[in-house]
Amino acid sequence: MIHDFTYLKPGSLQEALSMLADHKDECKIICGGQSLLIMMRQGILVTDYLIDIKGLDELNYITYDEREGLKIGATTTHRLIEKSELVKKKCPILVEIEKKVASIQVRNWGSIAGNLAHGDAQAGDLAPSLIALGAKVKLASSKRDRIMPLEEFYTGFFENAMNNDELMVEVRVPPIQDRAATTYTKFNLIGNDQGIVGVASTVVIDQNGACKDARIVLGNSGVTPIRAKNAEKILRGKGLDDGLIAEVAEAAARDADPVSDIHASEEFRRHLIRVLTKRMVKQAWDQAAHL
Amino acid sequence: MEKQLLKLVVNGQEYVLYISPKSLLVEVIRDHIGLTGTKRGCDTVSCGACTVMIDDMAVKSCSILAVQAEGRHITTVEGLEKNGKLAPIQKAFLDHGSYQCGFCTAGMLISCEAFLKENFTPTKEGIREGIEGNICRCTGYNSIVRAVEAVAKGDYREEGT
Amino acid sequence: MSKYSVINTHVHNVDGIAKVTGRATYTFDVKLPGMLYGKILRSPHPHAKILNIDYSSALELPGVIGVVTGKDTLGVKQGIWRRFQDLCDEQILPVDKVRYIGEPVAAVAAVSEEIAEQALDLIDVQYEVLPAVYEPLDAIKKEAPELHAGFERNINVTRHIEWGNVEEAFEEAEYVREDWFKCGGQAHMCMETRAAVSSYTPDGKLTVYHSSQSPYYMQGLLAGVLGLKEGNIRVISHYVGGGFGGKFELDGAIFCSAVLSMKLHRPVKIVFTREEDFIATKRRTPMSYYVRTGVKKDGTFCAREAKVFTNGGAYTGMGATALYLTGFFHSFPYRWKGYRYDGYRVYTNTLPSTSMRGFGAPQAMWCSEQQIEWITADLGLDPIEMRRKNAHYPGYEVPGQATIASCGIDQCFDVVQKWVKEKGKLPGNRAVGISAAGFMSGGIFNWFDTPYSFSSAVVTINYDGTVELYVGAQDIGQGSNTTLAIICAEALGVRVEDIKVHSGDTEHCPADLGAWGSRQTLMAGNAVKMAAEDAKKQLLEVAYAQSGFNIVYDLDIKNRWVHAIARPERGYDYAELVKKAIRGKDGQRIIGRGHYTPHGKGMISPAYSYMLQAVEVDIDKETGKIKLVDSLTAHDCGQPINRLGLIGQLEGAFSMAAGYGYLEYMPYEDGKLMNPNLVDYKVMRATEMPDVPVAEIDTYEPEGPYGAKEAGEGLTNPTAAAIGNAIFHALGVQMKECPIRPEMIVDALKEKEEKERK
Repeated sequence: MIHDFTYLKPGSLQEALSMLADHKDECKIICGGQSLLIMMRQGILVTDYLIDIKGLDELNYITYDEREGLKIGATTTHRLIEKSELVKKKCPILVEIEKKVASIQVRNWGSIAGNLAHGDAQAGDLAPSLIALGAKVKLASSKRDRIMPLEEFYTGFFENAMNNDELMVEVRVPPIQDRAATTYTKFNLIGNDQGIVGVASTVVIDQNGACKDARIVLGNSGVTPIRAKNAEKILRGKGLDDGLIAEVAEAAARDADPVSDIHASEEFRRHLIRVLTKRMVKQAWDQAAHL
Repeated sequence: MEKQLLKLVVNGQEYVLYISPKSLLVEVIRDHIGLTGTKRGCDTVSCGACTVMIDDMAVKSCSILAVQAEGRHITTVEGLEKNGKLAPIQKAFLDHGSYQCGFCTAGMLISCEAFLKENFTPTKEGIREGIEGNICRCTGYNSIVRAVEAVAKGDYREEGT
Repeated sequence: MSKYSVINTHVHNVDGIAKVTGRATYTFDVKLPGMLYGKILRSPHPHAKILNIDYSSALELPGVIGVVTGKDTLGVKQGIWRRFQDLCDEQILPVDKVRYIGEPVAAVAAVSEEIAEQALDLIDVQYEVLPAVYEPLDAIKKEAPELHAGFERNINVTRHIEWGNVEEAFEEAEYVREDWFKCGGQAHMCMETRAAVSSYTPDGKLTVYHSSQSPYYMQGLLAGVLGLKEGNIRVISHYVGGGFGGKFELDGAIFCSAVLSMKLHRPVKIVFTREEDFIATKRRTPMSYYVRTGVKKDGTFCAREAKVFTNGGAYTGMGATALYLTGFFHSFPYRWKGYRYDGYRVYTNTLPSTSMRGFGAPQAMWCSEQQIEWITADLGLDPIEMRRKNAHYPGYEVPGQATIASCGIDQCFDVVQKWVKEKGKLPGNRAVGISAAGFMSGGIFNWFDTPYSFSSAVVTINYDGTVELYVGAQDIGQGSNTTLAIICAEALGVRVEDIKVHSGDTEHCPADLGAWGSRQTLMAGNAVKMAAEDAKKQLLEVAYAQSGFNIVYDLDIKNRWVHAIARPERGYDYAELVKKAIRGKDGQRIIGRGHYTPHGKGMISPAYSYMLQAVEVDIDKETGKIKLVDSLTAHDCGQPINRLGLIGQLEGAFSMAAGYGYLEYMPYEDGKLMNPNLVDYKVMRATEMPDVPVAEIDTYEPEGPYGAKEAGEGLTNPTAAAIGNAIFHALGVQMKECPIRPEMIVDALKEKEEKERK
């Protein structure tokens, strides 16, 4: 059963931030609640104050800036992103990734910031793939705003870098470079179930066809999304061949820190990371090379 | 815990309720308003038996605070029929035997209805993806897909429309 | 031109309007005046003595009305095998000790669910933890802790099936193969979890709303445990959200709500959470199988020997029947010169195992059909032809067990053979696997010790020609209300729309063993046919008297048309005849009675369904991910009765059976279920289902109404094995454990590659 709380519904972002400043550790933010409510129903999460920002329309937007890229407001639902013509034009891979999140019902009500700020975001689809896209998040408090690369946002198991008076208000995806492509996949048994592991990969090719830059981000392979930096290092500056891809995949599997659970052993997770990294890097490379 | 007044519009009718803010939408629909067609089958937002429409969007009512639904149009299975006349998807379910025990049916009908509102020429795979959030233990889903296909094809179009 | 008016036509399910408009009221929805909400406190230990239960603090919580423990019960050890007292071993609210994690120890009733749940935390239970065992082969060791007094080595039940001279038959064999298999458990996972509302009133009567497969069984069992007369107990199950074999025994919801209501004299409702439904209702029986098979080089089957240990969990449940049926269907559908099966059901401190759709046969086929496939590969024989040459045929007698009347398995081989040939050569990552299977159309067993006919029916005809059909058969979604209405309509000569089915209420319906073992179409169907024909006979007596026809003319009613069979164009409306008949009987409604109990029908069933299923599987060799691409099932269920219902049963059975094959992993660690939720326990979803076309083979079963046999469980039997066989053909690996998980495939491939390297 959900424990009692005091329900607060701010009418504006300013109000929400001042409520946060007032209650700090004694409050929790709810938007769509698609992850939060399960934990509250099980009694795992208990809070004195619940601040409901679902109704804050000022945080519901998708815009594009030539310099800073896509800007998505915190309360924007997955479904709006999935169906956005603007996102399809400027960052089509994000549409494909959103389609893989949970179910239509959850996407209709759940928000992007709720997904990213939730404790176990690293096991989801968006955190690893947005990191691969170089995404940044804007965190606001009643005192100030700050922008942070998403990969610095996750600091530990169910921990993130927000202060207890801060709210994630915006997600930014930088403009996609020329000759860059991002791919993402997860391994599961059924449809859109949470991935046993997930791999996102961005590859940028230079004019000579060699790898200018690469990002390989692993989901559900550790306590936070893992950038397989050793694997990325192997790719940079080189031309594509099967031997290289195998080496990169092997390095990614070693960079991972996966658990054993009923869905897969640690060894099998590393095996999957090897296979999926190989596939995602190759796919991203092929796409980038043909742009 | 302090209760508060809540106005919900369900199936076109306004209800004025006095509820605790921690009440889930499915609890308010079933227990306070008394519309028991919508069911619950899990605690992990997995099964979809609680699916209702909010402003023509399919959502899982077990995972929404009732207070968030104020000012929106909620549709439950009871709201599909109009004056005793079944909606096309309901007729299609009858013709194709798209239900057995019937416990998932309310949520399934809503998911199908919401899907059809957005998809006019769906593929079979598209329909399967459209109902992926709803579990049915009895039918194996294929008869449900056939029913949605039939509605999309226009088999239940009213005369003169 | 069909010889039937209603049988096998496209008929809407008679409960359709209620179900598609949200009007159907399940036990989950029932609300009674003054009703309380119950919650159950459960044992955290797999094996422990209950020393003391102190619930004084719980009683002080405002809103809590009462608490019950085993001490509030008669302490009766009950079980559904009433004829065998030593197998009645479960108190449900135990008095002395708990035997599995999740077993009820106390139950609270309060004015709200939330308060009842809070009260659980205020109940203090003192346990003396005992050593526990979880696996059968550990539980039979001499030093293993004893679960039930008097059961040496924790062996709960044994079963032995044998015919022919097995040793001689093995001598005759030119090729012998032995394998060990492991079959997992499975959760019924009904969409409606266990639910009951019990109301005990000052007149000493108990009314129970229960999500049940057999209101009659509940009535009888409750009478036994509560010390009430059956006649003072009413069980109501109007709409049931799925059963699949898990809902015809007493469960914690019905028992605890009844005990609470009897103590508090208020209605009490208990609905299991999904987690409770996973951890505290019984499950499909996990089994370890040893199979040794001997054949001739030309593929003629000679001998088979099987030894099986089943994980019975903490109590008997329906596990004794599953133990027998798995051993019988392990021989199906083939002729063996020598056959021997020894089954041992072992108590362990885990969730009790019981019946689940297929009743031991999915496990049996997992082992038998895969080993047979490997034998065909070892000997270089055709998988279909080798099966065909050894298959049952109409009139075959399974020695000492069964006489097969109708049997369409041979035609099944033809159909599937053609389909496989047309598929041609498949790409490297795809393959087809086949599996034969069959199942019983209801069991002849009366371990429940009922004095009543197994099925009964009453038909009454109103003045306006509408018909009331009273049956004890229970509709749990399989559509029995509709199937029986169809049989009634055909037999009486009216339309399905004329019939109102009354079921699911022991107060108004005759006794019936209920929905299990795929018995209702054959058994209740026969009872309904008899009742309808009785009613028709009474109508026709009046018609004959009125008609003045020569005695050689026969009359009949078909499609509401009373006519001479030889002169169908001359007749009149059935409604007219009804009016005359009632007038002629002093204003009494026409009442027809029917019943059915199998007599002299062998050791298992009056009739058997047969099938051959082919499944096309796509496998990702690198990740082990399985995708079901296509399938075909050739199926013999005798005369199909309810066309829409039949397709639904076939497609639904496939989804559950495929789940058993590669999705529904149910891991336990130290007696604790590791995935009691629908995120981690994987069930089939719409995106994973392939098309499931079925080819019905035309046969006629003399034992069944209009030649019908079962179609509810048989199709749960072949799919896991068919998937296993597809993987064998695609990858060359033999999967001995189900459900198959991707990691197992990858490991098997690795092992294969290492072996080939050496």
